[in-house]
Amino acid sequence: MRDIAIKLEGVWKIFGERAENAMAAVAEEGLTKSEVLARFGAVIGIADVSFDVRQGEIFCIMGLSGSGKSTLIRHINRLIEPTAGRVEVLGQDVMRLSEPELRAMRSEKIGMVFQHMALLPHRSVRDNVAYPLEIRGEPKGRRWEISQYVLSLVGLDGFEDRFPSELSGGMQQRVGLARALASDPEVLLMDEPFSALDPLIRRQLQDQFVTLSEQLHKTTLFITHDLDEAIRLGTRIAIMKDGRIVQIGTPEEIVTNPADDYVRDFVQDISKLKLVFAHTIMEPLQGDAVEKFAQSPRVSEDSDLDHLVDVAITTPHPLVITDAEGKDIGVVSKDRLLRGIQGGK
Amino acid sequence: MIDHRRENRSQSIADAVPHLDIADSVRAFAIQRGDYYARTMTRIQSHAGFVAIFNWGAAIFGPVWAAARGLWGLFWCFAILELMALVQLSQGLFSDLGAVPRARAERLEENYERVLARVQAARDRGDETGADALARNADRLQAALEKALDQAQEAAAAGVELVIFGLFAFVLIKGIEGISANIAYEKRYSRWRADKRVRAGFQWTGAAIGAGFVALVYSIALYGFTVAEPAAFVRTFPVEKIYYEEIAASIDRAFDLATIQFGVFFNGIALGIRFLLDGLEVIFVQTPWPVVMVAITLFAWRLAGPRVAVFTVTALAYIALLGFWEKAMETVSLLGAASFLCVVIGMPLGVWFARSERAYAVARPVLDLMQTLPSFVYLIPIIAFFGTGKPPGILASMVFGLPPIIRLTTLGLREVPKDVIEASRAFGATHWQTLTGVEMPLALPSIMTGINQTILMCLSLVVIAALIDAKGLGYDILVALQYAAKGQGILAGFAILFCAVVIDRLVQGGIKRGKGPR
Amino acid sequence: MGANRTQGATSDAPAIDLTHSIAEFVGVRASFYVVRFNLLLAGQNRWRVNCAALIFGPLWAAARGLWAFFYLFVILELVAWVQIGRGLWGDLGADKLSEAARLQAKADQLMAEATRGDVSAQLLLESAANLSHAAENARIAAEAAADGATTYLLVGLLLLGLFKLMAGLWADRVYERQYTQWRVNKRVPSGFDLYRLASGCALLLFAFSLTLYRFTFSQPDERIMAVPVPSAYHTRTANLLEEYFDRTAAAGAGLFDSITGATETVLNAIEAVFVDTPWPVIAVFFLLAAWRFAGGRVAIFTGAALTYMGFLGLWEKSMLTLALVSSAAIFCVLMGIPLGIWCARSKRVYAVVQPVLDLMQTMPAFVYLIPIIAFFGTGKVPGILATIVFSMPPVIRLTALGLNQVPKDVVEAARAFGATQWQLMKGIELPLAAPAIMTGVNQTILMCLSMVVIASLIGARGLGQEVLVALQFVAKGQGILAGLAILCCAMVLDRIVQGRFRREEGT
Repeated sequence: MRDIAIKLEGVWKIFGERAENAMAAVAEEGLTKSEVLARFGAVIGIADVSFDVRQGEIFCIMGLSGSGKSTLIRHINRLIEPTAGRVEVLGQDVMRLSEPELRAMRSEKIGMVFQHMALLPHRSVRDNVAYPLEIRGEPKGRRWEISQYVLSLVGLDGFEDRFPSELSGGMQQRVGLARALASDPEVLLMDEPFSALDPLIRRQLQDQFVTLSEQLHKTTLFITHDLDEAIRLGTRIAIMKDGRIVQIGTPEEIVTNPADDYVRDFVQDISKLKLVFAHTIMEPLQGDAVEKFAQSPRVSEDSDLDHLVDVAITTPHPLVITDAEGKDIGVVSKDRLLRGIQGGK
Repeated sequence: MIDHRRENRSQSIADAVPHLDIADSVRAFAIQRGDYYARTMTRIQSHAGFVAIFNWGAAIFGPVWAAARGLWGLFWCFAILELMALVQLSQGLFSDLGAVPRARAERLEENYERVLARVQAARDRGDETGADALARNADRLQAALEKALDQAQEAAAAGVELVIFGLFAFVLIKGIEGISANIAYEKRYSRWRADKRVRAGFQWTGAAIGAGFVALVYSIALYGFTVAEPAAFVRTFPVEKIYYEEIAASIDRAFDLATIQFGVFFNGIALGIRFLLDGLEVIFVQTPWPVVMVAITLFAWRLAGPRVAVFTVTALAYIALLGFWEKAMETVSLLGAASFLCVVIGMPLGVWFARSERAYAVARPVLDLMQTLPSFVYLIPIIAFFGTGKPPGILASMVFGLPPIIRLTTLGLREVPKDVIEASRAFGATHWQTLTGVEMPLALPSIMTGINQTILMCLSLVVIAALIDAKGLGYDILVALQYAAKGQGILAGFAILFCAVVIDRLVQGGIKRGKGPR
Repeated sequence: MGANRTQGATSDAPAIDLTHSIAEFVGVRASFYVVRFNLLLAGQNRWRVNCAALIFGPLWAAARGLWAFFYLFVILELVAWVQIGRGLWGDLGADKLSEAARLQAKADQLMAEATRGDVSAQLLLESAANLSHAAENARIAAEAAADGATTYLLVGLLLLGLFKLMAGLWADRVYERQYTQWRVNKRVPSGFDLYRLASGCALLLFAFSLTLYRFTFSQPDERIMAVPVPSAYHTRTANLLEEYFDRTAAAGAGLFDSITGATETVLNAIEAVFVDTPWPVIAVFFLLAAWRFAGGRVAIFTGAALTYMGFLGLWEKSMLTLALVSSAAIFCVLMGIPLGIWCARSKRVYAVVQPVLDLMQTMPAFVYLIPIIAFFGTGKVPGILATIVFSMPPVIRLTALGLNQVPKDVVEAARAFGATQWQLMKGIELPLAAPAIMTGVNQTILMCLSMVVIASLIGARGLGQEVLVALQFVAKGQGILAGLAILCCAMVLDRIVQGRFRREEGT
């Protein structure tokens, strides 16, 4: 079985009439964004992006608006043609596919969810969900069976025969999700699916999405402008700025070890309670200090700060951190704990 | 939320999908013959392509079945197709297709026999030459007679062809009906799932209406087409022409009476318009042409920039070189008078309609009507009251040109943001101050668009008004149309076109300038 | 600040000094305008005469860049000057005088003949007397006209004085408004500009001299009165065009004939359906269609309209009209919707088509007929062709509009799920654009109807012909009745199509 589902290598996208020339010049001379704009009247959308997405993981791409993340995700199913670089999905070079092959890949292997739902207003919920299947030429009975099942997966039993306009925003986006799942794709592309929703509904849908992905194990590329969301959902996170990827890592890596000031700014306001673990902030124990900390409670090294706080409240003593075998390996004083919560100043 | 499903960690959705049985819901939809439709629709849904299942009920009852099942689109198709086939069939079967040639043959035969008798009589008298001439006649008649008889036979034989063709078409149509019925009904069922307003089941009212329509239309149509000489009332509306003439005459009388009674009023209006028009004609027609030309060009340049000015010069040169100058200026005067009056009357009306919901509710259908009506129709009441000539032409143009300016003034004023008006009121502005200082300037782009449309509308009618003697360029076109003088017509047509484009560009330039730096 | 807290916020606003800014705007004679503008801004002294504007009028305005003011006073002063010119130099009685001379000459001639002593001498003498009487009258009229010269002069002078005064009084206010505008927008002309003054002078001289000449002299040069172009230009060009059309029509006879043939086939078939089918069938069909598509009220209205047509004996003509309109509408829709789709697909095509459509809407309907008769002659087929050309723009425009208005994200979603172009068009774009397309179809039908009358000018039959005949013979009653029948057709079609459209929207 393949391990890597999506692979991007040096992908560039330049918008403008003379994109090809601009690309050549960029490759040779290494022009900056503003130089390209001045010389070719072209705008760089994506600059030299490479990453791999592993089978079954949720890969989040986080960036502010205009950072090129929505452009990037459209390269995966070639809704936008890259100016340079290589895009590989499930081991196939997307750029080499013929028109029918590309369509087949889109309708069978890749599902997509859109920021503004993009439901078809003239079709019922059932027909919306069945749309990818209809394009594939499935018989109607099969279409109905699958759409009913997928709708039940997203918790919309009994809404099959409504029209999208009769549903709330959150429900509409669940229809969008169901539509993406209907063709049982191996890859899910989600373009800021929850950002148009109210905070409360967004939270609900995030939870539901986590549950669903645990159940279905779809490789997911998830775009968001909300770092909280990226951290909540992502197995790994890529942070984008001005068309470039600034940092790729797990949520904890990003939070505890930001690559530059830009990322640090983002991370600053993120609550570390659930993201940072005891072994990251502890002071390693030197020598034999068992007696010194005899009254201290013992906490395992992979408990998060939240748990440490819970324990620390019950005792006046510092906490002793133990490894998997129950051996004392470090100590966390209250001062250290507070600094840890602040983000390790 | 759906935690209970966690345990069945299936990778593939396709394998996990449970079977869906639509039979019950189809039964609820079809009601009558529910089991049959449950079966057929399940079959149709389980195949991707075309599924042929013959519905005997639909095939036999055709349009009536469709009507009963609420498939009205199908009903119309079936009814018309069947009717066409049936007409062929019944013409072949019952209609005396050879009747016309046979009647002629009989007539010819009579003549032939009469001529033969005369030949005999001539021979008896010993008038050989006369007899020969008559005999030649008789031969000719005989030939014609034989031909007619042949034709009659042929036509009668064609009857068989018609029967075969009609029968074939009928059976074919029935076949199509039977096969398409279930597919169409399944589509309807899918729609019913999402939209419960779609009527379900077998509707007796639908069936009755369908059957009534089919019975009535089929019988009359078959009667009308089959019987050689159907009763007159079937072919033409059974009404005497007298109604028409009487009513037309009384309308004439009413108009004449009104014209006499209110002569002063109508003459007053005509006089006022004439006065305005005379003023404009002095400016456009009587002022030396170089002055007018320079003025227009300068105007174009100031309002719309050098490119439009160049175009204007070209257009004016064309008009002048081909000798249309005076007529074009006459048209422009007419147009000026008409659009001036439209703006002067239309803008206050527009303001009023923007203010008063009730007035607008009354006026809107009238405005719609004014624009829907073919422009020629206006000309009639106007010539009735005002006679022919230029002032009536202007009046007719006004009827056509008023709606856009009224409509767009109202629209523009209504689209002024409510908060801006509120702000103006909050500072103690009077209605008049709000209107002139806030609403009008904000509605100006829309009003200017209205003026532009009004002018173009007026132009198109000023040209048509040549029909009632309003002269100008339209007259040339009219003459060209009447004598099919294409060259002349095209030249005049271009002159009008240039007028229209120049005016349009000028007004649009004005609009852009009015928007200014804002 | 704290001390005068009780005072109003505005009463202690410091005065602003506009002197520099006004001087910068005005340029020449700055001190004068600073005083004037300040007075105006202070709300005092509203009506003061600006002598420069009073004396130089339009020229002052030109120099100061007030072009609207310039044009207005050029025209006004011209009117006044024309009157003065007529009073001073105009040979006002000239027309009458020459007429009198002509009449007198004729009278003398008759007199001479009479004295030669013919048989009809008595008659001639009488005529001669009449003529000399008329000549005398003309001479008297000429004298009266010559006396009127003073009146003209007086009125002219009065008007001139009035206009000058207006200009003088108004000038400061207009100029001050220009200043206010200039403050926001520095492109507004400012200062005293010699170049502008010169162009104003030239214009003034040109217009005044020619116009005064035209109105003052009794027999001005013909070249001023009418554009000095030999009528041969017109005739020759017209003939050339005519030849060209004839040649093209002959060369493309096959094409034109086949178009005519195809159109005629369709038209005849539809005409046969409308006219030959027994009227009850048509009536029931319309009623049922109205009822199904648009509901009970429209059905009742349709019934009334049909009854009207029937009872006034306009049934057959109405059916002919409906046949013409339906075949034109069918052609329009069949050609217009694909064209609209093409326009929506290709930006370049739309860039070409849009100005053509604009032009078609700007042109008076009449004009369409000419090229049509040039290539297709007259008759009902050319009539229908003209109707098609006239009525196609709305359906093209609204199809393109509707397709362009389909939300981009929906289209993208369909593409992301692998839809082909055809699936996209059929399943998504056309259904979503349907309301706009139906509006276009409705407008097209109404335009077809409005063209029906015009098309009858080149031989289309039906109600239009009836209206046209009524117009030509001022047969008001007949015209009104036929016009109402057209109205009925228009409203019935409109309501049925709109009803259908609303039904589609409902689901």
